[in-house]
Amino acid sequence: MKFLYSILMLGVFMSCSNDDEYASFAENEQLAFTVPKNFPEMVYDIESNPPTKFGFELGKKLFYDGKLSSNGFISCGFCHEQRFAFTHHGHQFSHGVNDLSGTRNTPSVANMAFLNEFSWDGATSHLDLFPIIPITNEVEMGETMTGVMTKIQADREYQRAFEAAFEEGGVSTENFLKALSQFMVMMISSNSKYDKYIRGEDGVQFTEKEAYGLDVFNEKCASCHATDLFTDSSFRNNGLPPNPSLNDLGRAEVSGKASDNYKFKVPSLRNVALTAPYMHDGRFGSLESVLNFYTRGMVDSPTLDETLRNGEELGIPLDDEEKEGLLAFLQTLTDDTFINDKRFSEY
Amino acid sequence: MKTIYKLLLPLFSIIILVGCSDDDNMQELTGEGIVKLSFDNAVGSDDLLLGSSGYTNSQNEVLTITRLNYIVSNFTLTNDKGEKFTYPKDDSYFVTSEETGETEISLTNIPAGRYVSVTFGIGVDQEKYLQGAEGQGTFLAKAEATNMMWAWQAGYKFLNFEGTFTSQSVTEPTNFKVHMGSHGSSLDNYKEVTLNLGTEALVSDEMTPIIHLVADANAILDGANKLSLSEQAVIMVSEEKSPKVAANVSGMFTVDHVHNGTGDTH
Repeated sequence: MKFLYSILMLGVFMSCSNDDEYASFAENEQLAFTVPKNFPEMVYDIESNPPTKFGFELGKKLFYDGKLSSNGFISCGFCHEQRFAFTHHGHQFSHGVNDLSGTRNTPSVANMAFLNEFSWDGATSHLDLFPIIPITNEVEMGETMTGVMTKIQADREYQRAFEAAFEEGGVSTENFLKALSQFMVMMISSNSKYDKYIRGEDGVQFTEKEAYGLDVFNEKCASCHATDLFTDSSFRNNGLPPNPSLNDLGRAEVSGKASDNYKFKVPSLRNVALTAPYMHDGRFGSLESVLNFYTRGMVDSPTLDETLRNGEELGIPLDDEEKEGLLAFLQTLTDDTFINDKRFSEY
Repeated sequence: MKTIYKLLLPLFSIIILVGCSDDDNMQELTGEGIVKLSFDNAVGSDDLLLGSSGYTNSQNEVLTITRLNYIVSNFTLTNDKGEKFTYPKDDSYFVTSEETGETEISLTNIPAGRYVSVTFGIGVDQEKYLQGAEGQGTFLAKAEATNMMWAWQAGYKFLNFEGTFTSQSVTEPTNFKVHMGSHGSSLDNYKEVTLNLGTEALVSDEMTPIIHLVADANAILDGANKLSLSEQAVIMVSEEKSPKVAANVSGMFTVDHVHNGTGDTH
């Protein structure tokens, strides 16, 4: 028994000494941040919250901490899994505390510093403030910001981590949100086969099929999935038949405008081969189904995007060869470096 | 002991009288001081009492109000020379709440002077919001604690007005909720108002004026724009109605009176 006690005490001492390894703010240092050559200009104001070594580490710790939820188990990383490019694989809808289920499909977390609208309906237009939405949503993390901060303020390890990461304020809501942003700002996916091909790196070449797919993509998809982020950050109704049991109005839920009914943010296509299921409600399990939908699954409505009207027909005409090309091209957007990057991984 | 009071009483009277005569002499105001703004919530000409008996508006709806909170911000004071003093933006956001009794705000380090008007915003401007975590500072926590965080959009309710009502068509007491704020990047409902003080508010090292503003809760639904609760009892994100609420709210404030003095008495 005494022996057991000693082991337990040893454990306690060891965790104490771990704490002591937390460096002070004086040892903090800014992380290098480079905008990939083929990316558009960054949106995030990095000057006001420059990612630092300890700020990033703190953000990562928070990202993977179930304390951010009311039941202590649902972390950000619970739904945003790295190997699926930070989406919730196998889940049409994200599910959260108390086994409650949401109504939308978890979007990928990548290249957030380059986006100006967040969540499917653009509920917020600032990355820093985005985490409030899942934390307080009763079907996601079901907490309050005050509740989260109380738990974190009571945690000695967090106290030290905040002190090391931020010169002022210690464990505060502001620093909490800044740390999460620092982590997310660093999560850049820019090393897919496509990126290397387009930047002319490492002699990477496209196969004939991939090159053909890129041509088809540029001709038929790139007006919305624009730039090398593969989104123009606009809200559009792509003709998806509304799910009658949800009747999710999308952007109109935020704007209150009937002219925004059924519009959702154009998602980035980076790592799209890994992020099934697809669409805001995750109704399609494969990219084949997505392409089939775009060719012949659309329904008309007053807010249908004009670019999807094709004379009397709706949709984007694609023959089998074009679909095959597109599928091959979309595979080239998978960024293995990103999904295996230890800096972002939970363990 | 009693004699001390007897002696002190005339002394105090003299001090008070001297204070009064000072005002009349247009004395030099020097240094800096505090300006207090007291938001007296009312319904029409009556005091607002939460949860108390209903009042009838011009649309024949009988309202019992249980919550009236709003955000006021970005204060600017203009003096008799037309000079403007803008309160530091970072410190210029306040929640006033009838239920918590936090209805008075203090603006500190105001340069001495004779102020003739006040300008302020209702809500949080986009510029502040788009400063992200840095811009919100501790105000987010304050907003959450006072039911003014619009968590689903990580933003703010500029106005939180709730209660129950009845009308000719709605005979059972029915909850109403009017939450107004900006709609993401889609619609900016932040508004500013400028109010003449009527009386100069005198600020100096020694003088702390209290500006009493009356906020007429009736104007929220029954102001320049008429909004019927019988038609819609929950008004939150409505392209048509929420800007009308915002316009009504910006018209609900009047300056009732200004107290000049030490700032201790109302």
